[in-house]
Amino acid sequence: MNFDFNVLTIHYPAVLDGLLVTLRICLFSLLFGVIDAVFLCLGKLSGRGAGYRVSVFVVDFFRTIPEVVLIFWIYSCLPLLFGARLSAEISGILALSLLVAANVAEIMRAGVQSTNPGQLEAAMSLGIPAHTIWLRIVIPPALQRMSPAFVNFLTELIKATSLLSTIGVAEMVYQANVLGNRTFAYVEFLTLVAAIYFALIFPLSLFVRRAEARLVAQKCR
Amino acid sequence: MAVLDELIEISYGCAVRVALTLTLVAVVAAGVWNLNWDTVLNLDFTGLWRFRVAIVKGFGMTLALTAAAVLCGILLGTLLAIAMQVRFRPLQWLVIGYVETFRNTPILVQLIWIHFALPVITGIPTTAIVSGVIAIVLQASAYFSEIVRAGIQAVPKGYWEASDALGIPVITRWTHVILPPAFRTMIPPLVNMTISFFKTTAILSVLSVGELMTVSGRISNATFKPIEILTLVALIYFVFGWLISLSARKIETAMANREAWR
Repeated sequence: MNFDFNVLTIHYPAVLDGLLVTLRICLFSLLFGVIDAVFLCLGKLSGRGAGYRVSVFVVDFFRTIPEVVLIFWIYSCLPLLFGARLSAEISGILALSLLVAANVAEIMRAGVQSTNPGQLEAAMSLGIPAHTIWLRIVIPPALQRMSPAFVNFLTELIKATSLLSTIGVAEMVYQANVLGNRTFAYVEFLTLVAAIYFALIFPLSLFVRRAEARLVAQKCR
Repeated sequence: MAVLDELIEISYGCAVRVALTLTLVAVVAAGVWNLNWDTVLNLDFTGLWRFRVAIVKGFGMTLALTAAAVLCGILLGTLLAIAMQVRFRPLQWLVIGYVETFRNTPILVQLIWIHFALPVITGIPTTAIVSGVIAIVLQASAYFSEIVRAGIQAVPKGYWEASDALGIPVITRWTHVILPPAFRTMIPPLVNMTISFFKTTAILSVLSVGELMTVSGRISNATFKPIEILTLVALIYFVFGWLISLSARKIETAMANREAWR
């Protein structure tokens, strides 16, 4: 078995198209997902009432069902239920943004709730106005504590975009399959795609390791 | 946290609650308004009763795959984590390379690679189920080794020094001194990873390994009614995953109580 680079040099533009689609899907689902996540996080923090109950259920539900089930449900059921035509890519973005919303909401909530109670008590007893407490005391350190968990989820999201090839979104894995079927060079294209994913995700997971070690060191100090 | 709740109350907590409830009502109203009532009224969940045996078998397969991934994953992961502790650089690099490769590429790519590319290299064709199990076990071993590594690092230095001072042989040191307390601290992340691999088994449906998601695909192709079966399958996954996390919380509180009582 010899690794045939020629086939890669001829067909690599299609794989790069797939890479662009992968990145585009990541970007849009992050954008929509984070907006939804803010609402869900507010709901979970509000502590009681209808908003709280629904947010808790939505977060638990979309974190527990497998991504593939969610993707297929949205792709094949939503158009039937609402009588609207959705392209594969749009339904994929919709499914992934629900995934992002649920996971990021949970990360945000954990970040806010890990605020140092001593700092909060001090701020409250000094009579600092509520919006200043949020903007100066709660949110900045919460963002810092969230960053490893958020980047870790980002790596999960990049890996999850590969699942959209099952509904026919023309991202990297789909392109590799198509090219593999056409040229029978499965090994070459699949290895290339795996290497691209590795190159995308490895820096992020290095960052997660560093940031986590830093947080542990901060806690010990 | 009481202080945080107080802060939420003084920063218009009531108004936020009302606004969220109104948003919720608006979303639900918009959803109901746009529903295609013909489809909704024709939903027929009783038709799925015919497929009960297939669904139960598929779910059994899902559970078997989860068990295989978790058990083999913990076993191989522990071996990898122990190999990381051996003071021999090339071995450590090898383990790091293995773990990072499987953690930083999507399981779908690994799965297709093992099913379509590996036979080209080795010349041995694998069936879908064999490829599926290989892929999920390899990925599980990488993820679990990270958890075990963290667990081993959390064991206090004194345990190592004491076992050195007492002259305990290497194997006994691992099985009786280091690993038992390490595994006790690892239970919560192990359960989370179990849920995660319970979800991952659904991805194996791209090779039609006969687990719940494969079965649901076959049923929706046979009946031309995807809504009923996919909703049922989503609920099954949700209820079971929720049960696992509920039991995890029970174990955690029980363990915390035992520690407090000691």
